[in-house]
Amino acid sequence: MKRVMFRPAAMTTLVAVIVVAGAPAAAAQPLCDKSEIRLVNSMREIAQPYHANLDKGGRWFAAWAGIKHYVLQLNQGDSDKQISLMRLLVATNARCTVFNVEPNADLVIKPMVDVANQSGAWIVTHWAHNEGLHPFDGNDHWIAHVAVDSMEAGVAISRLLVDAMGRKGGVVALQGRLDTDPARKRFAGFQQVLRDTPGVKLLDQQTANWDRTAAFPVMQTWLAKYGSQINGVWAANDDMALGALEALRAAGLAGKIPVVGVDGIPEAIAAVEKGEMISTVSSDAFYQGSIGLAMGTCILTGQTPLPATLSKEEREFYLKLVVITHDNAAQYLREPEPSAYAADWQCDKLWSRSTGKAF
Amino acid sequence: MTPADHQRAAGSRPAAEGPELRSWGPLLALIVVSLGFGLAKPGFATVQNLWTIADRSAIPLILAVGTTFIILQGSIDLSIEGVMAVGSLTFAMCVLNSRTGLDLGVFGLVLASFAGAGLGLLSGLVITRLRVPSFMVTLGVWSAGTGIAMLLSGDQPPLIRDPMLRALGLGRSIAVPNLFLVAVAVVLLGYVLQSYTRFGRYSMMIGGGEDLARLLGLPVDRYKVLAFAFAGLLSGLGGALESARVGLGHVDVGAGQMFATITAVVIGGTSLGGGRGGVLQSAVGTLVLAVLTDGMIFVGVSPYAQKAVEGGLILLAVLVATWPLRSRLRIVK
Repeated sequence: MKRVMFRPAAMTTLVAVIVVAGAPAAAAQPLCDKSEIRLVNSMREIAQPYHANLDKGGRWFAAWAGIKHYVLQLNQGDSDKQISLMRLLVATNARCTVFNVEPNADLVIKPMVDVANQSGAWIVTHWAHNEGLHPFDGNDHWIAHVAVDSMEAGVAISRLLVDAMGRKGGVVALQGRLDTDPARKRFAGFQQVLRDTPGVKLLDQQTANWDRTAAFPVMQTWLAKYGSQINGVWAANDDMALGALEALRAAGLAGKIPVVGVDGIPEAIAAVEKGEMISTVSSDAFYQGSIGLAMGTCILTGQTPLPATLSKEEREFYLKLVVITHDNAAQYLREPEPSAYAADWQCDKLWSRSTGKAF
Repeated sequence: MTPADHQRAAGSRPAAEGPELRSWGPLLALIVVSLGFGLAKPGFATVQNLWTIADRSAIPLILAVGTTFIILQGSIDLSIEGVMAVGSLTFAMCVLNSRTGLDLGVFGLVLASFAGAGLGLLSGLVITRLRVPSFMVTLGVWSAGTGIAMLLSGDQPPLIRDPMLRALGLGRSIAVPNLFLVAVAVVLLGYVLQSYTRFGRYSMMIGGGEDLARLLGLPVDRYKVLAFAFAGLLSGLGGALESARVGLGHVDVGAGQMFATITAVVIGGTSLGGGRGGVLQSAVGTLVLAVLTDGMIFVGVSPYAQKAVEGGLILLAVLVATWPLRSRLRIVK
């Protein structure tokens, strides 16, 4: 009965969208029945805790919202595959499908948004995106871009690091892949803090390509070169921080020299709890893996207005980051309860973690 | 002159000067590079940094030994990183860890090596029985290995909790890093295999002229399979030891090792065409690379320029290492 009722309603709405696209308050009618909604998480892989948690967040939301169709798309680091997986899926039921996308590279966002615009599917993207490309520039099916301010993450851990060093002494820095945006911005945040802290001197910076095994020998060489001049270790991600920590452990220095990283992976949180790391910053993967699906569901069920009527601040915003230190590490050590996110998934609370317009 | 005399005369000339020049070139490069960094930065030439370089080169040395036999035979092994990943995960999940209830201790190293040997055996059998080029087969095994490791890893890489194995990976025995001692033992084993066993001599012959070796009735296929199994065994061991060092089983423990290993073997003077070179030369080549990476951090080469400088220095090292051979190179491919 419900299905029969539904079709004309959807047709009307569709016509309404075409005729008066952008007209305010056009979203009172549900666009899809709940049983038709299909939620998709598109990401690189699930061998890392970060990605596994993205997936968990998505599944938790689907279960909470009572939506049966949940699809996980893994591209294994292949950008073309990420786009083609989306194309294949929107061959059916596109207009009731919501994509929550961890882009494999900045460049996949444009083609994926195009697929959404053409097929009628809905998309929310995360992390960085191409300069000059915005959801509010006529991309009516690109609900929002949830950006992470890597500069802010860099500043947050750097402040805690220089404080732990007593605002003086020598520090070494492990950079991510130099051609990536988060690597550059996290390091820029560090440099900003260094400028304000004349007592702390950057002895050297090297890239370890985000990689734990690559960070280990670099740290060893630094210990041979600088010895006791090193009073702190800054790393652009937790993996490299943990690689450096093992090199410190081999030299009997684990816990004696402060180390910071970014990402909030479980081992890093455990190291913060043990006092072997000072801090890490998390973007909260469970939240990132679910918020885009929540936005799409709210729009499809008519509880949130169509994207075209939302403000620029709602279409493109920075996500509030969680800074993890010894004081709160225990709380993040355990996997959170799905119910902890229920408040964030309410249709009138979708933007509760925004810190303002991005870029 | 009988044909036999002629052959002896022709063969004896390179034999008289060849091996000597071939082994001295890379060693000279190593000494030049070390002296250069030592003069530029006196802190480079300290005992502590010597052991840092030793620690840095430990796992590459182990990988280079296995790869040397493959390249000596004229084949190539691209599967190193995938096999290391399987070795790493096998090891991490068999010893005391955060995921499984197992606690097999040192036996975990044996299992990881066997897992690697199994993958190597698979490569060798496909190459010799199905007659597919080693380049393609090992490329496939690389992917397969990475895939298996990802399946084993699941969503949470296993953390190694066995303090004895962590001490093996991180500790030192009278100042010398433990892993370097393991590496030295592997290099010596490789040298013995190369010099005193049929496997070593036949490997050289197969690389020098596989058709001739076959005509002579040598069981070429058997020794090829053996070389891949041996290289796989060492890649598996290398992955496990890297895990003992960083403290977890991880798909990416071998990241970047394949090209580094082949580069080291070639810098050492082992010809990619097969038939020339050896384990000790590869060890020297590995040390050259380790000194380069360590030295560049010491003299403060900007990380943005390091890749370019490393490339230039590798070219230079290969030139120094192979300069005496130029006139005798028959073909350059």
